Amino acid sequence: MWIWADVSPEGVASSALELLTKARAIGKDVGAVALGPGASGAVDQLGEHGAARVYTSDDQRFAEPTSRVAAHTLGALVAEHSTGVVLFPSSYRGRDVAGRLQAITGSTLMANAVDLPSIDRARAEILGGTTIVEVDLAGPAPHLVLMRPRSFEPEAVGGTADVVPVDVVEPPGGAAVVQVLERTEAASDGPTLEGAKVVLAGGRGLGGPDGFRLLQELGDAIGDTAIGASRAAVDAGWVPYAMQIGQTGSTVKPEVYIAAGISGALQHAVGMKGSRRIVAITKDREAPILQLADVGVVGDLFQVLPALTEEVRRRTGR
Amino acid sequence: MNIAVLVKWVPEPQGTPTLGPDHLLVREGADGALDPGDEYGLERALQLVERDGGEVTVVSMGPEVAVAAVQRGLAMGADRGVLVTDDTVRGADTLVTARVLAAAIRPIGADLVVAAVESTDGYTGTLPVTVAELLGLPSVTFATSLDIVDGSHVRAERQTAAGAEVVSSPLPALVTVTTGVAEPRYPSLKGVMAAKSKPLDRPSLADLGLAADDVRPSQTVASVEAAPLKAGGRVIEAGPETAAEIADLLAEARVI
Amino acid sequence: MAVALAWRRASPRIATLRAARPDDPERGGPITERAARELVEVVGQRKLFQRLMPGMMHAAIFWGFVVLLPTIAEAAVAVVDRGAHLPLIGDSTWFAWLVDLFAVAVLAGVIIAISIRKVQRPDRFRGSHLEEADRILLMITAIVISLLLWQATRIALGLTDAEGPVSGWIAGFLDGASTGALEAAERVLVWAHLLLVLAFLVYLPGSKHLHIVTAAPNVWLRKSGPGGRLEPLRIDLEASEEDLRLGAAVATDLTRKQTLDLFSCTECGRCQDVCPAWATGKPLSPKLLVMDLRDHVAGTAGPVGEVELQPLVPNAVTDEVVWDCVTCGACVRECPVDIEHVDTIVDLRRNLVMAESRFPSEAGALLRGVEGPGENPWGQPASARMDWADGLDVRVLAPGDAAPDVLFWVGCAGAFDERAREATRSTVRLLQAAGVDVAVLGQRESCTGDPARRMGHEFLFQTLAERNVSTLNDAGVTTIVASCAHCFNTLANEYPDYGGTYEVVHHSEFLARLVREGGLHPSRDSVAVTYHDACYLGRHNGNYDSPRDVLRATTDEIAEMPRNRERSFCCGAGGARFWMEEGGDARINDTRYAEAASTGADVVATACPFCLVMLDDASGAAGQGPEVADVATLLARSALRDG
Repeated sequence: MWIWADVSPEGVASSALELLTKARAIGKDVGAVALGPGASGAVDQLGEHGAARVYTSDDQRFAEPTSRVAAHTLGALVAEHSTGVVLFPSSYRGRDVAGRLQAITGSTLMANAVDLPSIDRARAEILGGTTIVEVDLAGPAPHLVLMRPRSFEPEAVGGTADVVPVDVVEPPGGAAVVQVLERTEAASDGPTLEGAKVVLAGGRGLGGPDGFRLLQELGDAIGDTAIGASRAAVDAGWVPYAMQIGQTGSTVKPEVYIAAGISGALQHAVGMKGSRRIVAITKDREAPILQLADVGVVGDLFQVLPALTEEVRRRTGR
Repeated sequence: MNIAVLVKWVPEPQGTPTLGPDHLLVREGADGALDPGDEYGLERALQLVERDGGEVTVVSMGPEVAVAAVQRGLAMGADRGVLVTDDTVRGADTLVTARVLAAAIRPIGADLVVAAVESTDGYTGTLPVTVAELLGLPSVTFATSLDIVDGSHVRAERQTAAGAEVVSSPLPALVTVTTGVAEPRYPSLKGVMAAKSKPLDRPSLADLGLAADDVRPSQTVASVEAAPLKAGGRVIEAGPETAAEIADLLAEARVI
Repeated sequence: MAVALAWRRASPRIATLRAARPDDPERGGPITERAARELVEVVGQRKLFQRLMPGMMHAAIFWGFVVLLPTIAEAAVAVVDRGAHLPLIGDSTWFAWLVDLFAVAVLAGVIIAISIRKVQRPDRFRGSHLEEADRILLMITAIVISLLLWQATRIALGLTDAEGPVSGWIAGFLDGASTGALEAAERVLVWAHLLLVLAFLVYLPGSKHLHIVTAAPNVWLRKSGPGGRLEPLRIDLEASEEDLRLGAAVATDLTRKQTLDLFSCTECGRCQDVCPAWATGKPLSPKLLVMDLRDHVAGTAGPVGEVELQPLVPNAVTDEVVWDCVTCGACVRECPVDIEHVDTIVDLRRNLVMAESRFPSEAGALLRGVEGPGENPWGQPASARMDWADGLDVRVLAPGDAAPDVLFWVGCAGAFDERAREATRSTVRLLQAAGVDVAVLGQRESCTGDPARRMGHEFLFQTLAERNVSTLNDAGVTTIVASCAHCFNTLANEYPDYGGTYEVVHHSEFLARLVREGGLHPSRDSVAVTYHDACYLGRHNGNYDSPRDVLRATTDEIAEMPRNRERSFCCGAGGARFWMEEGGDARINDTRYAEAASTGADVVATACPFCLVMLDDASGAAGQGPEVADVATLLARSALRDG
């Protein structure tokens, strides 16, 4: 069993550790593939979380947006070393590499999986999370499985991994280079959406970018909070995509998720319904999110949020 | 500028699709429409061709009812349509679909292939890059803006885990787009009428050079069950006690 | 010569009319109906009297004009032979009296007109060409005074024995004058009078006073039947491009009636005064719309083909103005010359939507929802159409079932909007309590197509109408009760054009009947209620009383808003505007809600789910004020012991 590890100079993504934990539960001999700048720095952590072997290269070409070289290199690895399953995170990189690898190896690909009962069977949530299917995987090895984020809790088991250096493999005929002209990092201090204990999310009901200030104030009062948004707010240009929660966007599982002005359509619900406690504030009585919430409040969020901020400040003395 | 746009017909975009007794998504006979997500990329393709000249071809695979999706694309302004509809590919998985679509696109000689990031009903999100690999094209995914520069390169802004980046790729290339990329036009009645006389090809698998082995799916659904419902929620009207109630919940969750 | 000149000025107008599209010849109704209209509206000046003072002013001048008409002939004859008279009436005292009295009436009318325009200065004249009106009043005054003076000289000269009171009185002052002077004066005056009249004739075709020629024909051609019915525009997708009409794009796409409308406008502004869009600061004024179209159309006059026809939108009127209209019909109701503004606006919309796909983008959701699988403007799945009936035992008519006595048409608002659902449930429970054999179509019901049609998507409407008619006819439905005023209007007045003729009754009328016949037993309390007349039930269909009858059975205290019945002020949802964003200084629904609140009532009653939602939204925005409830809900509270 192999897992694909998303790596960067900042470190290894927690998705890799989640996948390793799961892979270990199925088989002992787990390999991790870490390609791109920052890969060598990730080896220790990958080993600690159960990788027996790490196939690694720090080559710059693996950071390219098109992921063609990564897919062909991985294809060559798979052909050389053989493995039954490769687990991928549902990240930008993961989807691109897995999708291309499918074409190269002719393997089956299972997306949106939440569990892997065995090498030949995957469990997935479909139809917006309302239905669970178990799917038999057939066809040539390796089966490719894209796991939804936060499907497992990462568990360090100790251990070190053997390092297997990897050479860059180009596709036959070479690959056109997709250049990155500029990069913008979404500035954020404070916990990330995935890491925060409390997530406050705003949607169309906030009426504009200014509405997010109310959430920020509430977040400051509560502490250990990240601010997110529904796709509607992002599409409207009020907040950057990095804040988007949902099918396309982040999946979050905080202790408390408070949605303000969000209708809670399936695309959004998929990204947050794993939260331990959900509070929704909306003036739309019909909003689906009220069915998801532990406490659904029908009312004016412009009144409720400041009142709540005040109450929290009172209780915490902030 | 020759642009191919991948489109899909999806059942009841607003409703909940259902699985039939064979555990496959019910597509035939169900009411459906062109996947709303596909309209954004199609709109942008139409805008580029209106500006720089060229042709837009919409390409789809599906049951016979899926022709409605292709027709809608033609009504919006696409110049030609291609629909692969063959019983053999019913229940196709992403690899089979990708092979069929790649085979359908190859003869078009497209400079640019456009697709939505994912479909509304399946949302695997990997099919477009599989098509790209089969065609040997570079790809740019999650594009929030899309432009063609000098007729030779595509320039796109795309989302990344860290934020965003602006990338440039030589053509030919494949790009998947998000909903922010353009505001789709509503086809005028004149457009709907004009669509009837536009070329709509229906190649068979044999026409595309695909053999039975190429299109055999490698996944079967073993079981289906409803996801567990979240229990125990309550809905209240906002009032003077609301702030306290929510704060109680926060306290109980030990976040304050 | 004057006639030739007048004709020259008039021919571009005539050419424009001939170049316009012909109307449906049946449009105005049977001859008897049209003749009755002429009698009441033109002779009787009924619509002018909707405002008393201006009405009296105009009636005086109009009737005066009619009575004085023969004097022009007499003057023409007398110019040649000063002793000549018209047969029968010339040289008769009773006619002289009539002439004098009406001449004075005209002058009185002119004085009233001047005081209205110069002293009172009502807002409805904003945008009108006031100088033109001044010129006309001046000319009228000159004509009448010259007539009286001329008559006086004739009397003084003994050319006529017929003495009217005023002309006779003036003649008294001329006693001392020499015969020579009088003869000269008589000549001068008769020529002056005649020349003034001819000058008036020449001035006529180029001015808004042309209405004296066009008004009567315009009334003759006005659409017969309820105002809520739009004339169908049949669209056949198989037709060739040239044969396809998709609304009004350029001047020659307008019908003859629509063009005549433009030439009949007197710029009086009564329509502007009652337009809800104008009243809340939007750029739409029905008067200005008509004036702008008129100026544009007049500018393209001349042999068609010589002038390149420019699109009416945005060259004559802007897109915004076209979309601001709520199709409430208040303008049409006010117009003294029967201009049908709403029909023209819808025709402009038809071209914008069907040919150019140019409309407020937020309305796209409405079109997609209606043409999509759910077939409703809310974009909800068809499977949710019966969700409102949870907990109620409602018979759903399956294909092949025997038709019920009453088919209750729920409508999309009544099915999908949470607040409207309460009215739907109340209606069904009341019908069931009264023992009515009622059923619904359930998922087989699709949108009647009203919002699509008012928006201008005539083809989508046609598709839905044909489909619904087929469903209803196959089911053998004969009687339909609808709780939505828009559904009611479309089912009753527009579906017959598509082969669907049923007895369609608005739920308020049906419920009132049940109460009257003892099928329901409400008890009266003294909660103060005011009723908001729904445009599509009231003004467009003439039913102001059914909802009031229902309310009278539930309460002793009914208050009326200042603008009620035919003068009701729209809630703002019509014309598919429910799905569009609103601009201007104020919102139409807020304005109406404030008016309702000003009556001091505790409850505002509505008879249409759109009015209900709009006014309820306004009550939410206002924060306080009367509760908003459908008449069925109020009746259910009273008759079914609801909490």
